[in-house]
Amino acid sequence: MIAIEKFTLDNGLRVLVHTDNSTPIVSFNMLYNVGSRDEEPDKTGFAHLFEHLMFGGSINIPSFDEPLERVGAENNAFTSNDITNYYITVPKPNLETAFWMESDRMLSLAFSKKSLDTQKKVVVEEFNQRYLNQPYGDVWLLLRPLAYKHHPYQWPTIGKSVDHIKNATLDYVKEFFFKHYAPNNAILCVAGPVSKEEIYQLSNKWFGPIERRDVIARNLPKEPTQTEPRRLEVVRDVPYDAIYKAFHMCNRNHPDFHTYDLMSDLLSNGRSARLFQRLVKELGLFSDVNAFITGDIDDGLFVITGRLVKGTTFEQGEAAIDEELGLLTSEPISEYELEKVKNKFESNFTFGETSPLDKAMNLCFFELVSQAEDINQEVVKYRSVSAQRVMEVANELFRPENSSTLLIKAKN
Amino acid sequence: MLNRKTPPIQAHNGHIEVKEAQEIMLPNGIKLLTINAGTQEVSRTEFIFNAGTRFQKKVLTSRGAITMLTEGTATLSSMQIAEQFDFYGSYVEQTADRDFGGLTLFSLNKFLPQSLELVEKVLKTPTYPEKEIQTYRVKGKQTLQVELGKVSTLVRQKFFDTIFGANHPYGEFAQPEDYDKVEQADLLDFQQKHISSTGCTIFLAGKISDAEVALIEKLFGQETWGKPHQTDFSLPSLPQTFEQKQWVEKADAVQSAIRVGRRMFPRTHPDFPGMAVLNTILGGYFGSRLMKNLREDKGYTYGVSSGLAPLRESGFWVAGAEVGSEFTLPALEQIYLEINRLRTELIPNEELSLVRNYLLGEALRTFDGPFATAETITSLYEYNDLDYSFLHNMLHTIHNITSKELMELANKYLNPNDLIECVAGSVSNI
Repeated sequence: MIAIEKFTLDNGLRVLVHTDNSTPIVSFNMLYNVGSRDEEPDKTGFAHLFEHLMFGGSINIPSFDEPLERVGAENNAFTSNDITNYYITVPKPNLETAFWMESDRMLSLAFSKKSLDTQKKVVVEEFNQRYLNQPYGDVWLLLRPLAYKHHPYQWPTIGKSVDHIKNATLDYVKEFFFKHYAPNNAILCVAGPVSKEEIYQLSNKWFGPIERRDVIARNLPKEPTQTEPRRLEVVRDVPYDAIYKAFHMCNRNHPDFHTYDLMSDLLSNGRSARLFQRLVKELGLFSDVNAFITGDIDDGLFVITGRLVKGTTFEQGEAAIDEELGLLTSEPISEYELEKVKNKFESNFTFGETSPLDKAMNLCFFELVSQAEDINQEVVKYRSVSAQRVMEVANELFRPENSSTLLIKAKN
Repeated sequence: MLNRKTPPIQAHNGHIEVKEAQEIMLPNGIKLLTINAGTQEVSRTEFIFNAGTRFQKKVLTSRGAITMLTEGTATLSSMQIAEQFDFYGSYVEQTADRDFGGLTLFSLNKFLPQSLELVEKVLKTPTYPEKEIQTYRVKGKQTLQVELGKVSTLVRQKFFDTIFGANHPYGEFAQPEDYDKVEQADLLDFQQKHISSTGCTIFLAGKISDAEVALIEKLFGQETWGKPHQTDFSLPSLPQTFEQKQWVEKADAVQSAIRVGRRMFPRTHPDFPGMAVLNTILGGYFGSRLMKNLREDKGYTYGVSSGLAPLRESGFWVAGAEVGSEFTLPALEQIYLEINRLRTELIPNEELSLVRNYLLGEALRTFDGPFATAETITSLYEYNDLDYSFLHNMLHTIHNITSKELMELANKYLNPNDLIECVAGSVSNI
């Protein structure tokens, strides 16, 4: 049970407080309700580039990192398709420094030309390092546009191509900031040896004076129902052939979300999971196989990936995957196996609650999706998934016309 | 009106309490360390053995013997072991590094007895079935092939090969064909000699009570198990001369991986704390000189850093980055420029005080929760024989080291004539 207290400032900023006196460190997490799904199709990768610019100095403070390092704090950020998340861990006596810094960059950035020019180059190198310069690095650049034709999940967070990043202008940076960065479009969570009263006072002092901004309600195209199987085969300089399959599934708030997630655990969480035992160990067709959900807020993907052992053909590999998925659609899973994945979930979830920073991040995310208190219902929700529902959902999911298959063929 | 230009008053970050583990000597000679802390009903039990790669006679024996502990026992198949750990929601992590090897169990306390009983079986009676070894060969070989497609892997191998020698256990790397030579007899021999109660240390951390301690003693602490083994293995001598520039070709790479560094000393060396501070200034945190120069000013790279790492009987220091191919030479130039600045210019007080405070915050973070504390003490066990004065010395050095002393250290240890430079990338186009 995670204790949560919360309040909302007059300007719309939602603030969550979780008291944990077992640590000398305070975790300070700010979530902005903006991700790569909010980008225009000809300006992709911008939410993430923007995250870099948030470290380039704000209106009153020339450097973001230095004052934090000076008080022994550590900070970083990440961008996903749905959100941009900034976090700081700071020794308790210097907590106010985090409020000072984070509120100033919400007030306004410095909008420095030099910072933009440099960060464009840094992000191009990030693109190279993560997506181009390693085997299988470009998979998501290929799989997303295969699965999504209308919804902006069709491009990865890094963007469709480096050209979009190179073309970013300072004017557009400003426009993006005032459109999405606002107290009424953000959620703050402070976790650690703190009280609600002190966080209330500090929040009002530092964030209170920032005015509410016009944030236009999100209106994204819904991805139409897929009606036929999609396939793409490419040749790449990789050591082994690989298969990627994506199926459309529900959104984060749908009552079946937990069933999909448990189903991915049945297939591949832990060494006893079905895909690993059957396809890697028993049949020896794959060296590596995985199933996971993307966990997106809008309708997401259920993904299967596998690297083939030399000598296995794509046909054999796909047939073996299909057979395993077929079992989920035709035979109800045993109570024992269901109990196993539920125990596994509870354990992962409980270990996730041992780190104050993870708690702070999760609380912000739950508050965005529904309400922070729902975090305490997660185990119950997973526990209530039935074998019957797993089979129904599997039948809904694993239909050929709902699948996008990407085959990566090794050059040699 | 709120003054946003001036920072809130900087407070002292508070006293850092070095938490010490309780030590219990079990009847069979195993040392049990415990830390009771945390709010959740979970625990972490680590089994540390003198079973690193330095003790093996053939490449992959240590890693294979430890990784495949869970692939079959006298009474359980690989599938049954995996099934039971998963059912209890427990997970085990096996590690084999250069000096030490072992297994760590993460478990909900309510399933700790069942999970530990399983661990007892996999540590004491593994069988290494031939069928599982075959899976390991194929899977391991493929995973390594994928890794070898990365410039970061190529440069790492070249760097260690150069400073320690390819035949020294600290410099040795497996090649894909080595997986074909993994044999059951070698694994069993290694397991019996090295996964034994002689030289084993167990570390239990989390929300624990006497019941958990008694359980460990009952399962692991009564009779001796495994064969007694020799711990005073001597290492081969280290190379004294180096080829200073080592460039590895990876055709068509859009980035080059760079490493500049050298062999250093173990953590017990008196200069270790000072070098740790110096390293932080150069490349040990986000605001470091290398980050500011190569990333924040010039945009050559997504990330650049340097690190000082200990081994039981040696150590190394290395700076590295992956940079756009066209930036390879300018990036190297800037790395040397920053190293030379440390040797010729005193570090300004402003910067030194920032780094002191940053490192004190880091020191606090090493005691942030029971598992962070456990990791800190494990490394103290492995590299300082559990001598807590190392942590106190570290804190003392962070508080007191002067710019002049840091410049002396830079001249003593970071002379470019003593540094090795390795690059993996599209070398022919640079």
